[in-house]
Amino acid sequence: MGSISFSHVDKIFGPQGSGVKALDNINLDIADREFVAIVGPSGCGKTTCLRMVAGFEAASAGEVKVNGKTVTAPGPDRAVVFQQFALFPWKTVRENIDLGLRNKNLPLAERDGLISSALKLMSLESHADAFPHQLSGGMQQRVAIARAYVLDPEVLLMDEPFGALDAQTRVVMQEELVRLARRNPRTVLFITHAVEEAVYLADRVAIMTRRPGRIKEVLDIRSIREAEGWDRHPKIEDVMDLESFVHLRTHIWKTLREEKDFQHV
Amino acid sequence: MLKALAGGLFLGLAPGRKPAIKVATLAALIGLWFLLTTVTGAVTGGRFPSPAEFWTSLVQINTRGYAGAGLVSHALHSVKLVAMGFLVAIATGVPLGLWMGWSRKVEALVNPVFLIIRPIPPLAWIPLAILWLGLGDAAKIMVIWFSAFVPSVINAFTGVRNIDRPVIEAARMLGTPRWRLISEVIAPAASPMIFTGLRLSLQASWTTLVAAELVGALVGVGFVLNMAQQDIYPGMILVGMLTVGLLGWGTTVLLGMAERRALAWNIAARD
Amino acid sequence: MNGQALPLKESMLLGLLSLLLFLGLWTVLTVSGIVPRQFLPTPLEVASRFFQLLTSPFAGATLPTHLAASFKRYAYGVLLAAAVGVPLGLLMGWFRLLDDIVTPIFDGLRFIAPIAWVPFAALWFGTGIGGPIMIIFAGAFPPCLINAYRGARFVEPRLIEAAKMLGTNDTRMIMEVLLPAAVPSIIAGLRVSAGLGWQSLVGAELIVAAAGVGFMMVQAQGSVQTATVMTGMIAIGIVGMIIDVLLRQGEGWLRRRRGLEA
Repeated sequence: MGSISFSHVDKIFGPQGSGVKALDNINLDIADREFVAIVGPSGCGKTTCLRMVAGFEAASAGEVKVNGKTVTAPGPDRAVVFQQFALFPWKTVRENIDLGLRNKNLPLAERDGLISSALKLMSLESHADAFPHQLSGGMQQRVAIARAYVLDPEVLLMDEPFGALDAQTRVVMQEELVRLARRNPRTVLFITHAVEEAVYLADRVAIMTRRPGRIKEVLDIRSIREAEGWDRHPKIEDVMDLESFVHLRTHIWKTLREEKDFQHV
Repeated sequence: MLKALAGGLFLGLAPGRKPAIKVATLAALIGLWFLLTTVTGAVTGGRFPSPAEFWTSLVQINTRGYAGAGLVSHALHSVKLVAMGFLVAIATGVPLGLWMGWSRKVEALVNPVFLIIRPIPPLAWIPLAILWLGLGDAAKIMVIWFSAFVPSVINAFTGVRNIDRPVIEAARMLGTPRWRLISEVIAPAASPMIFTGLRLSLQASWTTLVAAELVGALVGVGFVLNMAQQDIYPGMILVGMLTVGLLGWGTTVLLGMAERRALAWNIAARD
Repeated sequence: MNGQALPLKESMLLGLLSLLLFLGLWTVLTVSGIVPRQFLPTPLEVASRFFQLLTSPFAGATLPTHLAASFKRYAYGVLLAAAVGVPLGLLMGWFRLLDDIVTPIFDGLRFIAPIAWVPFAALWFGTGIGGPIMIIFAGAFPPCLINAYRGARFVEPRLIEAAKMLGTNDTRMIMEVLLPAAVPSIIAGLRVSAGLGWQSLVGAELIVAAAGVGFMMVQAQGSVQTATVMTGMIAIGIVGMIIDVLLRQGEGWLRRRRGLEA
């Protein structure tokens, strides 16, 4: 009940005719409860793809559909987790999580129950009445994830959600997200420029190249993960040592480096 | 840059590091005052009052009254006018600024009229206000409104325009309806800038009130100053000036308290 | 915010519309007699009065002569404020003791509206040119001082450390490190000062002066010549705007020269 599809999507920024083509003929279908990561260098348009699903940007050509319906505006059926967290600094953790539920006009008792379980899910119980600035970056992003998860969205859109976190926190959050995704599978579109992160988290990885942004290759990670039993290792560093993981990572790196402009970075 | 400047204008300079030096400075100033006016007589009473003359004036206005009333009634009258003009200004200015910030159309519509009226300093409205409304309270409230209106609008406008885009996008993806978006997202997000505007508005209100009362009034601290000037009464001039300073300081402190209450989340986040 | 910037054409059209509405409302209110002409003349009457005053005198002088008198006071007052405020601010930014001594005095005086200096200004320097200059000074001084101070006080600490490591003395530190680093802040302060000084000038002339645009307006108010009062307001607005535009140009030029964004 939560599929995403891009068909022949172009995106041109700037005036029509003389604008810059950011995305060129993007085609990608994401099935219900599938976790797809888009990986690519900065400026390749991967975030624009996510913003079109969210309804923040419109496609210049082609169609972006969620559950078969063309996206026209933002809405709580497509929850977004932003890189900069985008919490409301004047609201407590609880109030931040509550806003989306209030917008759905749910009764108080139901909201309280949902908030409690969301807080528990993200281990935030003891911070329910704190303001965002009182929390560390990792905790703030937990709140943002809780705020998105609590809406029970059809699709979850994550735009470099761990990009602003330090390396150690990022690892903890990645492991937690894997646990969350396995226990409570959702349709997820995950944007990142970190190759390891994409391979570790996703069922499939789409590799994007830039100028203009195109999807160069889509890799099936899930079958390899299941065949090689990655999920038996609870720690990310153990998974990253596996030969199958190293092989995939190297393949993606090579694919990205074949691009001319990427070699100069 | 503007923000830093605005901050500087109200917060003053860096917080005093050494209270001892502060106290010593003020003590030295008072000593100097005493020395120049009373001990050596280098400054005559016709130019600046001695401490004793100042005290006499202060006692006079509080017991027998001056310029038709006691100091407290003059002060209360001025505070009342500032409060009314200021409140009318923020009640009209802040919503307009928020609206202009939110809607490009409203901005395009209002801006030209604003651009014409803005270069005219608020004090230049005083003669027109007196022509229209006479020497009473209404004319003063009108000029205070005009002077406090502009900073309220500009800062509310800037506050909305400077909101981080992800914050608005987060609210939209959560399906927030329009009125809730304004009251729970736009207004709080802009509120630090709104308060910056309110401080500027308050400052402008006092300047305008004092000027308007100096030009023509029948009661108020500006009127005390006006009468003291005409009577060539330096002791009373000093009483009037210090009262203006004290009232300005007091209302600014009140506004600061309101700001700390309203912006607890922001102040803590800044520190 | 709400969508992208409007296309230029649409925003010009809306702007024109609002100006027409403004003038139209003004005309309708006055021509129809809803508002007595005595209190609000028609736009045309104000315009013709404006041009009339360019050549024929009112309150002892023509509008340009009044403006010249005003501008002279204004220029003296603002220049004096900058000449005292900027060096003092820089010195306070470097010498802590001076900072500790001046700051409490300054903070105490800050809450007295500049216009409240009028009685003492008149008493000390008369109502000719000295008194008004002191009031303009009182209005224009604080931003000069505050911005020079903040510019110097909050210089990137590494610049100061680098200069110290190179053995720079106090004078050279202020002239060659703090002053250049504080220039953007000082210029911004001067712009604010120029605006506040202009406002103080108007206030001063309304209360104590025997010439100048403010004086002209008070005289016109006394004889209920609303069109002349409004002419004064327009003249004040135009000159204020010209001053601001010129200073903005200067600021932009300076910032570009230093490789900062305008």
